[in-house]
Amino acid sequence: MDANEKALYDAMVACKVPGIIDAVNAADAAGMAPTAIIDTMAGAMSEVGVLFERGRIFLPHVLSAAAGMNKAMEILGPKLSKDGSVAARGLVVMGTVEGDVHDIGKSICSTMLQCAGFEIHDLGRDVPLGKFIEEVKGGCNFCGMSALMTTTMTGMKTVIEMMKTEGIRDKAKVMIGGAPVTQAYCDKIGADIYGESASETTEKAKAVTE
Amino acid sequence: MVVDYVTRMGDGRRVRLTKEQIMSDIVAGMSDGVDAACVPELSQDELDHICEVVCDQSKITSIEAGKEVVLSKDAGAIKFNQDNGGSGNAMPCMGRLEGILVYERAFGFDSMELAWMDYSVKPVKSIINCETANYEQMALMTTIPLIMGAMPNLGLYYAPDGPHPNPTDLMREFKIEESMASSEAAAEQLIKDIHYTCQEIEKVGCEGYNFDTVASAGDAEFYATLKGIEDYRKMNPNAYIECGMSAENVLGIHGQMEYDGKILGGMYPHEQVKVVEKAGANIFGAVVNTNTSKSFAWNVARSAVITKECVKTAKIPVHANMGMGVGGIPMCELPPVDITGRAAKILIDIANIDGI
Repeated sequence: MDANEKALYDAMVACKVPGIIDAVNAADAAGMAPTAIIDTMAGAMSEVGVLFERGRIFLPHVLSAAAGMNKAMEILGPKLSKDGSVAARGLVVMGTVEGDVHDIGKSICSTMLQCAGFEIHDLGRDVPLGKFIEEVKGGCNFCGMSALMTTTMTGMKTVIEMMKTEGIRDKAKVMIGGAPVTQAYCDKIGADIYGESASETTEKAKAVTE
Repeated sequence: MVVDYVTRMGDGRRVRLTKEQIMSDIVAGMSDGVDAACVPELSQDELDHICEVVCDQSKITSIEAGKEVVLSKDAGAIKFNQDNGGSGNAMPCMGRLEGILVYERAFGFDSMELAWMDYSVKPVKSIINCETANYEQMALMTTIPLIMGAMPNLGLYYAPDGPHPNPTDLMREFKIEESMASSEAAAEQLIKDIHYTCQEIEKVGCEGYNFDTVASAGDAEFYATLKGIEDYRKMNPNAYIECGMSAENVLGIHGQMEYDGKILGGMYPHEQVKVVEKAGANIFGAVVNTNTSKSFAWNVARSAVITKECVKTAKIPVHANMGMGVGGIPMCELPPVDITGRAAKILIDIANIDGI
């Protein structure tokens, strides 16, 4: 990691918007490629997620780092595309499945995914299973579902079956998580991504898009 | 010939590992716990003891006679009288009283809790007058200390279930101050509800209250619970108050909530217990989460190192939460008997817990 990359990384992990903007401007002035700047910041954002999960920093810090990243995109956007826009990594529908109202973990995961550059359609908690199908039909290429109860996690399997019935299973990667959900359950029901934590889910979703 | 041992993964699957693999997982799990909670490492003797217990191929493993610990209970008899999904281990024909008596007379529990099926402070508040009548009846038919219990569950105070906007949704819209204000307002409402329920149970001479799954919605919930405990302690200096956590660290959703001058977000069990003590609880329920992708050896060593520091720091008894997905126990609806005994033995021998 060279000096510019380190300065960018450290500014992101410090989670202060002015510091992040200064580091982005310095790296840009030093001739660092916009894509390299974004990649470095994205790597730091993963570290920010881990620090949050370990209790070293708090959700406002995470959002502050994400706000800094958004500002950086505004600065770098014109250099990345003609119209100044930056494409999202993917369009994600997120929700806690029908019958389940435990959505804290899902909301944190939505936040982490948003910080990593995904566009999020968060449907909240107790989401009717058909809503996930509608969102995939509407263009979401990731379908994220959470559950905290063994009695509700079976809804994830139902959504996958509904996707197959509708002929849209290949339109979206299915991500699942929540306390009772495991990799074995993910494999059993034919989901694509299991996340032990919000940061792990985000890393796996990013890996799919790279 | 390489000898391997049957053990389990954090999701309950059976696996065969060599002693070297088990020891490697124990060291890795302990190191992860040390790094996460910033606690001292276990000694080589302690690591060897964990390895010996994990490798013991007896189906049931237990502690030495004389090292028995106290058993307390959260979630009342819900495991008996409510359906537990696909496991089939619920007995819907069993009422709450019968369930409590089974815990008292068949399982040898030392205290028990009366829990309403909708096990959160907010719904319990609305039926508290029925519950106090039920409590009186059941207290007459039981011998062990019988307390009330519910989860503070601040999530129910946020939209769509409550009047306050969801703080994590506001955060995603970068409305950080509004998010914090929402958490603070919801916490104040929860404090009032805890006060009301405690005031009502006091009228029938209830022996105490178990605050269960605390801080599930983060630091604001932990703050409200601590204030609720403080208030209840003032109401009844002799009340028997338990405070059991929901996770190993307090999520800093608000980030600036303080109690006794300490920031609550990011606290691990050895820090949590100090504020719980200060608030006036009698028992602290320490939680260490299970990683379903790691082995039992990894998880139980991590649980032992984090819990040990908590017990060392505590002035009140520490009861480790040991059930589905916590305390080294795999994430199974019906925790396997070959693991529960091992996990209990390790936490009693290494972490010196006072109860489970």
